[in-house]
Amino acid sequence: MLIKVPSVANLGLQTIKVDVEVNLASRGLPGFEIVGLADKAVAESKERVRTAIVSCGIDFPAKKITVNMAPADVPKEGSSYDLPIAVGILSSILEFEVPEKSLFLGELSFDGSLRHTKGAFLMALFAKEFGFEELFVPKDSANEAAAIKGIKVFPVANLTELSQHFLKRKNIEPVKYKENLENIPMPAEFDMKEVLGQEQAKRAMEIAAAGGHNIIMIGSPGSGKTMLARALPGILPPLNEAESLEVTKIFSASGGIPPGGSLIKNRQFRAPHHTASTAGLIGGGSKPQPGEISLAHRGVLFLDEFNEFPRQIMEAMRQPLEDGTVTISRSKQRVQYPADFMLVASANPCPCGYAMHPKKNCTCNPNQILKYQKRISGPILDRIDLHIAVMPVDTTEFQNNQKGSEFLETSEKIKQRVVFARQKQMARFTDEAIHSNSQMKNSHIKKYCKLSKNVEEILRQASLKFNLSARSYMKMIKVARTIADLDNSEEISANHIAESLQYKPKAYESA
Amino acid sequence: MIEIGLVKITDKKYPELLKKIGSLAPKKLYYKGNWDNEIFENCLSVVGSRRLTSYGRRMTEKLVTEIAAADVTIVSGFMYGGDEAAHSSAVKCGRTIAVMPCGINVIFPEYQKKLYNEILENNGLIISEYEGDFLPQTWSFVQRDRIVAGFSKAVFVTEASLNSGSLITANYAKKFGRKIFALPGQITSDVAKGTIKLIKEGAEPVMEANDILSFYKVLVSESKIASSQAPRNDDNTLEQKIINYLKSESMGIDSLARTLNVPASKLGTTLSLMQLKGIVNQEAGKYYVN
Repeated sequence: MLIKVPSVANLGLQTIKVDVEVNLASRGLPGFEIVGLADKAVAESKERVRTAIVSCGIDFPAKKITVNMAPADVPKEGSSYDLPIAVGILSSILEFEVPEKSLFLGELSFDGSLRHTKGAFLMALFAKEFGFEELFVPKDSANEAAAIKGIKVFPVANLTELSQHFLKRKNIEPVKYKENLENIPMPAEFDMKEVLGQEQAKRAMEIAAAGGHNIIMIGSPGSGKTMLARALPGILPPLNEAESLEVTKIFSASGGIPPGGSLIKNRQFRAPHHTASTAGLIGGGSKPQPGEISLAHRGVLFLDEFNEFPRQIMEAMRQPLEDGTVTISRSKQRVQYPADFMLVASANPCPCGYAMHPKKNCTCNPNQILKYQKRISGPILDRIDLHIAVMPVDTTEFQNNQKGSEFLETSEKIKQRVVFARQKQMARFTDEAIHSNSQMKNSHIKKYCKLSKNVEEILRQASLKFNLSARSYMKMIKVARTIADLDNSEEISANHIAESLQYKPKAYESA
Repeated sequence: MIEIGLVKITDKKYPELLKKIGSLAPKKLYYKGNWDNEIFENCLSVVGSRRLTSYGRRMTEKLVTEIAAADVTIVSGFMYGGDEAAHSSAVKCGRTIAVMPCGINVIFPEYQKKLYNEILENNGLIISEYEGDFLPQTWSFVQRDRIVAGFSKAVFVTEASLNSGSLITANYAKKFGRKIFALPGQITSDVAKGTIKLIKEGAEPVMEANDILSFYKVLVSESKIASSQAPRNDDNTLEQKIINYLKSESMGIDSLARTLNVPASKLGTTLSLMQLKGIVNQEAGKYYVN
């Protein structure tokens, strides 16, 4: 008897249909065989399925069972085929029909219950696109799949319940999607108003958030770089619907959605340590997994101690920074992951860290400082729009000076301005493939950043005085565009350009 | 073609002033560059801490350019920090002599190669008592200091901590009976302690280039001093306020924003424009009035 149970395989973010064909033959020696390019986890599925069925009080048939997974040339991986295989066998023993237009996915436990399995969200998207009506997934993974409207998602707790459902004795109710706020990570560790001083750095953060610009902070240890970066998520605009789907897809593929999780609505803040491997950061493995840069898609990738990152990793980030995607090629497959993130880097000015400190003495000689600076790849620095020096805050100044508190804006207030500026950009780029000022190429700059004679003259003078490269020149215009958007001005004025000059690339300086 | 040669103490070409330091005078001088005895006529040795502060650098640039422009040769030791600041200010408008702690073919520190070439291109000299490929040793730096002091009628110490090479040079100068100038610094600064000590012991404090130039019997013309920019009287009140604050103390943008109670965005805009106009300048995160 031959039974076909439909399921899916996820290759990166791409989903293809996989037919799990189960044959129970009365002839031949009893046995259990899986064919069709199955990896170790799939092959082990035999034992899980057998034990789970037995745990449910059903006699495992003493027949020659062969499972084929078609198409046979696509590698299958993971534990998600337990459920389709078990359903195929059960359908043969209990004699029920496997409904047409349905998909199955889920890992079995020995006791017959189903465990949270990655990829349910991707399967739901696939079901929607190709007209499948019913999804059977583990209970814990049902909510993320139900985020896609128009398909029935059945939360399966265990095999017994499922058999009852198919035998029409007791139905499983399709799950209703509910936004799960608990599973969304806390937006920001700090509020901007907790950051004392750092007026200019906070302003730079606001501009970076508004225009999606990459930013680098250079300053002595303890000057507040990390705190500023960690406060950044609090001023980022929420993800829109399309962006939320993109991010959820990546997390579904990497197994990053917690049990019972829902659509990801917050911009991600990823802060990998500098000992991270290239594969961990960029993505990779023999079956390419998304790396930190993809998990930070539409969010923030914070690289603390930027010059401690190995050169190789920095160079590997160049192409994703430019294109917003990363293609991971392996001999067996090629996978493309989106990686459109905002890079926030922080670095010390010199090995001892005190080159810019107003009080402490730096013990490094210029050669050491030069070498230290050179650890940051030039081409990467070229792709960073905002450069700021973060000076340590003199706390005594705040104890004596109550005036300071007037400057302390809450993240919420800054966020309002950021959201407003983002909306302006969305409207501006409706006909373009980009969505923020930071992504503008030279052609866009020509089109959307017209400078008056007077403004152009200021910029020309500045590039002479500060020795700006052609690329820096363009960066200044992009940053000025964002400053103008924050100012609700269509025109880029002299003042906007002048402010953007504050964030020009600077050489490390000693105090 | 750069001239490379050797001058012995018995040669006529050997600088008179250096010969006067007696037994300490080097027997041989290897050199690179165009040796003419005019260069030794009016020499000023400028030495300073390796850890030069932004104030020290700014003042060295300001004073040394004016002094070098008045045809006084600037002699220094080619180390990074104070020496480097002196040489690189001097090559812009005058001649300079670098006395190396190593052979003349060795560039130490290596990354100052550009400066090394600039010195030669601007008619300066690279001098050493050591043979061509001799590598610098800990003792050769101190040995080099006596030659730096010996070349000049006066030594100008820009910044020095106690126990520094700059003070060793000053001590040699004292021993040779040469004049000592020192740049006053903030008493809280480590690298001002040496210079303040020198002033206490009788060195002459330097406030402007003429303090040194009058010793050399040359004066910078009045017009040249006047040309250094005076803050303009602008009706822009924020600019005026900024100037008033920065005149007494150079400040970073954050503290300026707090003191003036102006948002960082607006202050940044104004400071950028003022910088373009040449009214203020920025170094090491702090702004100061030109």
